[in-house]
Amino acid sequence: MNFYSPATGIVPDAPVATDQLPRLELRDLRKRLGDTAAVNGIDLQVAPGESVVLLGPSGCGKTTTLRMVAGFLQPEGGEIHLDGVLASNASFALPPEKRHLGMVFQTYAVWPHKTVADNVGYGLVVAGKKRAEIDREVAAVLDLVQLGDLAKRYPSELSGGQQQRVALARALATKPTLLLLDEPLSNLDASLRQEMRFELRALQKRIGITTLYVTHDQDEALVLADRVVVMNKGRIEQVGTPEEVYRTPASRFVGNFVGTANLLEGTIVNIDVAAGRVSVALDAGDIVSARASAGWLTTAAPGQRATLLLRPEDIRFDRPEKPDQQTGLDVRFVSAAFLGSRYELQLAAKDTPLRVQSRTAGTFKDGRALLWFRADSAWVVA
Amino acid sequence: MSSATLFTDDPRDVPDGPALLQRLSDIQPVKLLVIGFAIFILLALIAYPLALLIGYSVVDAQGNLTFDTFEKAFNRRGMWAATVNSTALVALVTAGACALGIPLAWIVARTDAPGKMLVTLAAGISFVIPSFISVVSWIFLAAPNSGYLNKLAVEYLGFTHAPFNIMSFGGLVFIEIIGVYPLVFFAVSAALHNVDASNEQAARVLGAGRLRTTLTITLPLVRPAILSAIILVMLDALSSFGAPAAIGTMANFSVITTKIYDLLKFPPQFNYAAAVAMPIMVFTAVSLLIQKYAVRAENFRTLTGKATSDQITTLGRWRWAAGGFCIVVVFATAVLPIGALLLLSVLSSFGADITLSNLVTKHYALIFDADFVARGSIINSLLLALATATVCAGLGLVLGWVVERVQFFGREAITFLVMIAYGFPSIAYAVGILMGYVNLFYGTLTLILIAYAGKLLPIAFVLVRNGIQQLSTDLEEAARISGAGWLRSVRDVTFPLVRGAVGIAWVLVFSLSLRELSMSAILSQADTQVMPTVVIQFIEDGAIELAAALSVVIVTVSLSILGLIRFFSRKKTAVVS
Repeated sequence: MNFYSPATGIVPDAPVATDQLPRLELRDLRKRLGDTAAVNGIDLQVAPGESVVLLGPSGCGKTTTLRMVAGFLQPEGGEIHLDGVLASNASFALPPEKRHLGMVFQTYAVWPHKTVADNVGYGLVVAGKKRAEIDREVAAVLDLVQLGDLAKRYPSELSGGQQQRVALARALATKPTLLLLDEPLSNLDASLRQEMRFELRALQKRIGITTLYVTHDQDEALVLADRVVVMNKGRIEQVGTPEEVYRTPASRFVGNFVGTANLLEGTIVNIDVAAGRVSVALDAGDIVSARASAGWLTTAAPGQRATLLLRPEDIRFDRPEKPDQQTGLDVRFVSAAFLGSRYELQLAAKDTPLRVQSRTAGTFKDGRALLWFRADSAWVVA
Repeated sequence: MSSATLFTDDPRDVPDGPALLQRLSDIQPVKLLVIGFAIFILLALIAYPLALLIGYSVVDAQGNLTFDTFEKAFNRRGMWAATVNSTALVALVTAGACALGIPLAWIVARTDAPGKMLVTLAAGISFVIPSFISVVSWIFLAAPNSGYLNKLAVEYLGFTHAPFNIMSFGGLVFIEIIGVYPLVFFAVSAALHNVDASNEQAARVLGAGRLRTTLTITLPLVRPAILSAIILVMLDALSSFGAPAAIGTMANFSVITTKIYDLLKFPPQFNYAAAVAMPIMVFTAVSLLIQKYAVRAENFRTLTGKATSDQITTLGRWRWAAGGFCIVVVFATAVLPIGALLLLSVLSSFGADITLSNLVTKHYALIFDADFVARGSIINSLLLALATATVCAGLGLVLGWVVERVQFFGREAITFLVMIAYGFPSIAYAVGILMGYVNLFYGTLTLILIAYAGKLLPIAFVLVRNGIQQLSTDLEEAARISGAGWLRSVRDVTFPLVRGAVGIAWVLVFSLSLRELSMSAILSQADTQVMPTVVIQFIEDGAIELAAALSVVIVTVSLSILGLIRFFSRKKTAVVS
């Protein structure tokens, strides 16, 4: 609790007061790797205490972005500012050791020739701290990651999860202003990975450290982020809270990448700008009232095509009291699997495949059934 | 503290300074200095002699481009005979090494024949003993009249003529085969070990029998290893100098390398020597290119895993035949030569009966006598080995780091240069060194050191580079993020983690320096004799017992130093994914 100075503060859940300088600011950041534009114009601000997760498929530029922030790569265009001070642009790069960052690597990068304590204390030794002070701070940070009694061990004697904690402790020991994490959990096995997610989140909130986290795992991103930055092909597709990114994706890509998406095509029949809604006659039958972003609504007109996104868990067999639909969606049964907590159904609405997660197996007559969407769950993606 | 701390202004003070200033602040002078110095040494050691060598062979005395030099050089008396001899030597040695090495590798890796462990040990011993020392052993065993195997055959087995003659072209081929077959053996048996059992099991499941599986699956999988080994053997045979020099003098024939040596005797004819060395160089270059593009292109398979019991062929009644073959090889390539060397070194004189009363220590006494040439050569050899090992290990560390960690256009060039030095025939390289540095360092150990260092650098480079390759860059980057500058991250993280590899490189280079003959023969003068040149001198003078005693010294020091490898491999080394 007292590990971090109070100046770092407790984090507000909502993004940040505007009078504070952002801890990290990226302005139109660009970098080519080989022939491809790995990072192609990124703007982002990370507020003090905030946890921002860069999420995207491999090759989307998220790790390249992180490595530019760390100072291992120099951008070809744009600027990186740390605490309002220029750290990198095309002609200048502050060396990594001068940026006062903490970083956790995918491979952990725990030095095998140093004990746990020496690994964690290294940054303090480099900073020229006194031995007694180093010992005290190393002990404190090891306690923080629950490794207090392993200080004298060598990394080869530790499990993967423990090495991960050593890497985290080492990154935190110098009290960095910004913590970078590069897919830190990807080398752990599935159950440990789930556990560490929540632990990392709790730790981040407790010490209030600003973090920039890179992952391709959407579940990890949703757990860890105050804000998720979804990246694709070197660009940002959407920035938002986990709920925003999941429920109101800005594009088909985001909808597909974060969670499972059912996409239903149709034609606009009616627009209600005030309510932020639009009625769409689906090609598969039925007319659905769906929410849409304000920007899209201003350009929409009856007769235009539109695509609706529906999450598998928002589709039911029971008709709600006030449905957003006229008739219910007529679907054909394809296959079903029982997954313990739910049934996973593969259905088809005309030619469109549909995935449904349901607590009940549903009742089909002649292999057909009517589906209803949870209220306000249908969303228009561009 | 770190270079960066010393030379980089904190940009937080000058965030909007001029771009040029900012660029300068980004450069790390210590890093540049270290890298620049290493590259300079590399150019001086390898590029400069190579350029001189090529230059001398195609430029006449007036500085005009010409191919006359080649014509004149190869029209000299005996030159074509030497070329034919070299070609025959390469062909016979390659065939022999494969005929010996491939079946042995298969027996050891894949059968239940007895005596397999001994074969590996014997191959290791053969590999460590340089061919000019084998010559000493085999003169003792199989000299035309006085060789002890010949005596044995005539006196007890009823031969009317001595059956063996090591002082012949056939004898040379035999000695070279024994020296190089371990290359084939080790490469192929390693590859056989690495073929994942599932590849063969898949064929078996599909209905192929053992033999068919071996021919259609196993052998094609190890073909790249066989081809690589063949190329190495050919290069080795082509550039071999020790045994051809020792035997050729006695049996009165020449090969290309000994011709080059003759051309450098007083008065030295650099142009001709360079021109004669050129075919060896071209052959080497072509072979390495073939290896790089043909062999590696084929070597796409990831070979993993260990041989399982399923892969072991039971030979049945052939088991003892295979075992017998193994024992013969062990005897002929290790037990007999080592025994002969030891015995000869304490025998009162070559030809004397082997009785207890004829065993003496006077040869060793003479070797270590302060007034005799041998003692000085021992000291010279040790000094050179020490210096060469240290230079190569240090240079290998810096260059390995540069190639693995620094992004710049010269990386490939560095690797290329270093690997050229590896493939470069020693004798040709020595000619280049002589032309480049004879005026500066005539008759000094420094001249020999330059040659040793350049020729052995690739070994250190490859070992250390592999060590660095295995270290994830994250390890160094973690140090940078923790606040350490470049120099400090190398010192605190990289160096401790590659210490094992550097140590092994040091030991190997030391051991190889001790036995280097072909360059030493060309470069050493009266005051700078080294052990191998003195051994050859003894052989040519007929003092074969002294040659044996000094050879025992070389082998003993080499083997004890190589024992240090175990010490370095035991060290805690990094295991990083």
